[in-house]
Amino acid sequence: MHEYCHASSAFISCQHQPALVYDHARSADIAAAALLADCGLNEAAMSDPATRLSPAQVMRLVSNAARALGAPDTSFMLGQQMLPGHYGAVSHALIQATSLREALTILSTHHATLTPLLRPRLMTDGPFAVLYWTDTFGTPSLRPFLVEMHLTAVAAMTRWLSGERLPWHFCFNRAKPRHAEQHAVHLGTALRFECQLDAQLIDIDCLDRPWPRGNRVAMAAALRTADAELLAEPGRSSLLSVLYDYLHARITAAPTLEESARDLGISPATLKRHLALHGTHFQAELDQVRTHVSIYLLQVRHCDNEQVARHLGFHDAKNFRRSFRRWTGITPTLMRNTLLPAN
Amino acid sequence: MLSLHRTSLVVSAAALLLVFFLYASLGVLKPEATWQWLDIIGEGGTALLCGVWLVMMLSARPAGAVTSLLTIGLAGLMLGAWADCMDEFYKLSAVHVWDNWLEAACTLGGGLTLTAGLYFYRIEQLSLNEHLTKRERLFRDHRAFDRVTQLANADYLRKQLKAELDNAGTTRGSLILLDIDGFHAINREHGTREGDRVLQAVTHLLLLNVRRDDLVCRYAGDRFAVLLPATDTLQTLRMAEHLRRMIALMRHYPKAGNTPVSLSARHVCAAIEGNADALLDTLNQRLEAAGSGGGGAVRAQPLSA
Repeated sequence: MHEYCHASSAFISCQHQPALVYDHARSADIAAAALLADCGLNEAAMSDPATRLSPAQVMRLVSNAARALGAPDTSFMLGQQMLPGHYGAVSHALIQATSLREALTILSTHHATLTPLLRPRLMTDGPFAVLYWTDTFGTPSLRPFLVEMHLTAVAAMTRWLSGERLPWHFCFNRAKPRHAEQHAVHLGTALRFECQLDAQLIDIDCLDRPWPRGNRVAMAAALRTADAELLAEPGRSSLLSVLYDYLHARITAAPTLEESARDLGISPATLKRHLALHGTHFQAELDQVRTHVSIYLLQVRHCDNEQVARHLGFHDAKNFRRSFRRWTGITPTLMRNTLLPAN
Repeated sequence: MLSLHRTSLVVSAAALLLVFFLYASLGVLKPEATWQWLDIIGEGGTALLCGVWLVMMLSARPAGAVTSLLTIGLAGLMLGAWADCMDEFYKLSAVHVWDNWLEAACTLGGGLTLTAGLYFYRIEQLSLNEHLTKRERLFRDHRAFDRVTQLANADYLRKQLKAELDNAGTTRGSLILLDIDGFHAINREHGTREGDRVLQAVTHLLLLNVRRDDLVCRYAGDRFAVLLPATDTLQTLRMAEHLRRMIALMRHYPKAGNTPVSLSARHVCAAIEGNADALLDTLNQRLEAAGSGGGGAVRAQPLSA
C-alpha cells in the first residue's frame, strides 16, 4: 500500500509557499479578500501558523494573485523568492549545501515540502544534468505559470548559493511565446520551446564544484532534522507522483491499470476515479512516462529507435515510431535534438 | 473615484426627477396611441447616453474646475434630452412656455459648458503630457505602462522600434540596453519591495539624464532600454557610458537601516536597423555575455563606510 495525498489534503503550512504568494501580492496592495476568494480561507486563518492548506487551495491562491497583480513577471518574481525559502530544517540544509549536486538532491528528496505544486526529478547520467518537472496535482491552466516559477526558483537559488550565474539551459513543453523578454531577463537567453519536457539542464561538470557558502557539517545536521520530519509525516506525495514513480520503475513491463491499482493497494475503479479528480487518466500518465523514458534513451543514452522500442516492450521500431508520434506529435528522429543544447 | 463626485451625481439624479415631476404634475398624459416611439427612443436614448458619459467621465477624474465644467455640460445635455423626451408623454397647455425654455437652455447651455470644459481639458492634457516626456513618444498606449516604474514596457518599445525602422527617410536612431549588476542580491537581501524602490530610483536617474526626445522603457526585470532617435553610434556610446557612470555614483538607502547600497550597471548599444525582434535578441545575448565576463560576482554590496 502506497500512501498518497489528494489535491484536497491540507498538508501545506500557510507559512510556507502560501505566505510567499500572499505576502508578495499584499505588498503590491492587493486586497486580502481578492486573494483569498474561493480559497475557503480568511485573513485570520492566514496569520495562524497552525493553518494548513491543501494544494487545491494554494493553486487557487496562486491564480488569484496572478490575476490580481496582472503583471507579466509575477511567476518570475515569486520564483526568485521561493527557494531556499523558510520551510524549516530543509531550507537550512539547502543554504548550507556545498555543491549543486547536493542542493539538487535535497530538492528532489524533499519535494513535498520545498515544491509541493510540481515535482522535480533529477537525471545525472549524461553530459548534462537534467532537472525536469512533473505534475503533482494536475493543473493544466496554471502549469506554464508554475513551470516559470519553479525553473526560476532553482536558477535563482543556485545563482545565490554558488555566487555566480550558472549556465542553465531551459526547456519548455509549450509553444514559443510571441515575446520572451521576461524569460530572457530572468532566466537568460538559453531558452528552448516545444521541448516535450519542462526542464533545466546544466553541464555535468557544474554539479560538483564547491560552493562558497556551503558547510557540510551544518548541512548534515539540518538534513537529519529534515529527514526525521519527512519520516514522521509520510504520504505527502501526490497520486500522480507515486504513479509516475511506479510506472517509471516498471516501464519495460508495460504495466496495466489493473496491475498498477493492485500494487498501489487500491481498486482499479478507485484509481480511475482518483486520476479523474486530477483531470487525467491512466493511459495519459503511462504515455507521459513512456515519452520521458524515450527522450532519456534517445538523447542521453543515444539509443536508436530499435533499442527504445525493445526497452518499452514494442514489437518493432515502426510501432514505437507510430506511438511516439501519437504521444508527442513529432517523430523520434526529430525529437533527438530538441532537449540538449545545440553545441 | 466615483465617491468623490457623490454631490454631482445626486444633484443630477434629483434634476432628472424634478423635470419628471414638473411634467407629470403640470401636464396631461397623452393617450398611448399618439406616442411617437421613434422620438421617444431618440430623445430618451440621448439622455441615457449623456448619463453614461457623465458617470464614465466622473469615475476617471479627480475633482476640479475642468471636471465641474464637464459635469455641468454633460448633465445639461442630459436634462435637455430628458425634458424633450417627457414632452412626448405629457401635453402642456399653451400657457406654459417654460418647457421650451428649459429644453433650449439645458441643451444650449450644456453644449457651451461642455465645449468650455473640453477646451480646458485640452490645456490640462497638454501640461500632463509634459510629465510623460521621455516615457512615451508619438503615440499613447495606456496598457503599456509598468506598474512599478510607470515606464513603458517591452511591447511599447518594440512598437517604437518598428516605427523608427519604418521611418526610413530620417537619420537612424540607436538603442541602449542597461542591466543592473547583482540586482537579484538586492531582492534577496532586502526584499522585492526594496528592489522595486531601487528600480524606481534608477528610473528617475535615467529620466533626468536623457534628452527630451529620448525614450526610457523598462524592458523586463532590472533591464532598461533607452531609445535615442537620430543619434549616431559615438553619441550613443557616450550616452550609455554617462548613464552607467551615473548609476555607479548613485547610493540607494533602504527603508530599514542607514547603510547605502551601491549600484553598478552594464550596457550594450546598437544602431536601430534590420528587425526589431532580432535586434533585441542580439542585444540581450551581448548583455548576457558582458555579464558572465566578470564571474557574475555579487556587486551590489553595502558600502563599508
